[in-house]
Amino acid sequence: MSYSYGQGYPGPGGNAPRHHPPPGAPYGGGPAGGQYGSPYGGAPPGQQYGGGAPYGSYGQPGPRAPYGGGQAPGGPYGGYGQPQGGPYSQQGPAGNIPPGVNPEAYQWFCTVDSDRSGYINAKELKQALMNSNNSAFNDETCMMMLNMFDKTKTGRVDVFGFSALWMFLQQWRAVFQQFDRDRSGSINSNEMHQALSQMGYNLSPQFIQELVNRYSMRGGNGVLQLDRFIQVCTQLQSMTQAFREKDTAMTGNVRMNYEDFLSGAITRLM
Amino acid sequence: MAYHNQYRPPHYNSAPPDQGFLWNIFQRVDKDRSGAISDTELQQALSNGTWTPFNPVTVRSIISMFDRENKGGVNFNEFAGVWKYITDWQNIFRTYDRDNSGFIDKNELKQALTGFGYRLSDQFYNTLIEKFDRQKRGQVAFDDFIQCCIVLQRLTDVFRRYDTDQDGWIQVSYEQYLSMVFNVV
Repeated sequence: MSYSYGQGYPGPGGNAPRHHPPPGAPYGGGPAGGQYGSPYGGAPPGQQYGGGAPYGSYGQPGPRAPYGGGQAPGGPYGGYGQPQGGPYSQQGPAGNIPPGVNPEAYQWFCTVDSDRSGYINAKELKQALMNSNNSAFNDETCMMMLNMFDKTKTGRVDVFGFSALWMFLQQWRAVFQQFDRDRSGSINSNEMHQALSQMGYNLSPQFIQELVNRYSMRGGNGVLQLDRFIQVCTQLQSMTQAFREKDTAMTGNVRMNYEDFLSGAITRLM
Repeated sequence: MAYHNQYRPPHYNSAPPDQGFLWNIFQRVDKDRSGAISDTELQQALSNGTWTPFNPVTVRSIISMFDRENKGGVNFNEFAGVWKYITDWQNIFRTYDRDNSGFIDKNELKQALTGFGYRLSDQFYNTLIEKFDRQKRGQVAFDDFIQCCIVLQRLTDVFRRYDTDQDGWIQVSYEQYLSMVFNVV
């Protein structure tokens, strides 16, 4: 008797394993230390994160590295829709900034929290963030980040959560700029390949190409804007973690049952 | 290509609505008169029954299911499919939302998914509720219910492709695993 999952969906197409990569796909055989490159990816490269896993696990608020606030705002990309007034127009005494909150993030928060509720919701966040081609951040990325830093589980962030979210954004933005070698304001699949390799992922060029194509589908020119870049990298990190938890023997292969597979994917998907 | 048939809500087959009726709706929803309904236009037209905006991720999932040329919206012909799809889900949702609260709780979700043929543990339903309860009420609203079913179905489809001997277990490499989950994100 065969295992029954979701028999209610007689999807056409049957069981043909269309998506199997060719056997002996160029996976493994990476540098020393296990099949996917020892660190499994995870951390973006770059000294400024002070080593270690900078973002902690998914859902952990805020980067751990001291980061030090040295990031110049603005920069060649024009930022993600800086709130009006810019980061330097200090309004109000600096003494209002709650302890532990990045001052620049605080300025942002006050501008973005347009209804003065003390919280930023998905809509306000989306309105505040822009890619370098002036497109708004996509909903999935906004919701993903909100969920990551929403300690209250209410679908919004307070000033502390926002400060952590803001630093997260700044860090990814720095990585994005670092790998946008042609300064086009977007990441193409070559640049993505370099970025992911340096982050420690051992993925085939075909896989990366597919990934970029998949996430650049709308607007369709085969490149990732900042929002998609953050989404892909964060999810890659998270799904790699899911795989690693199953791959206790570090063989690069896992065996899992239906519900394990569902749980692993669903708890980590946004 | 029967791609979107695959995502038809199970066990439901409402009669196709009258073309004139649909055309009226289409014109009202297509606010900018572009001839195609965008994510934003559809989102504004939809209600999840709770006075909160319809889940934008659900809207995107639905549009992409019917948008054949990948133009970022649906034309009138495609809209007929969208309309039917949402109406079918609505009918299903109503059958399980017995008190008409606009939400279904864990038990109702369990009944619904069991009715579709899923066999899932009690613990797993907690995971589902936690993940798809966007309004943080311990229950799932209409829009999030659709999203939950879409994700579950896509994951099941991709699992099934790898589970060639149908024993409920798969063995996959790292990159295969990533392909599986990224196909449904």
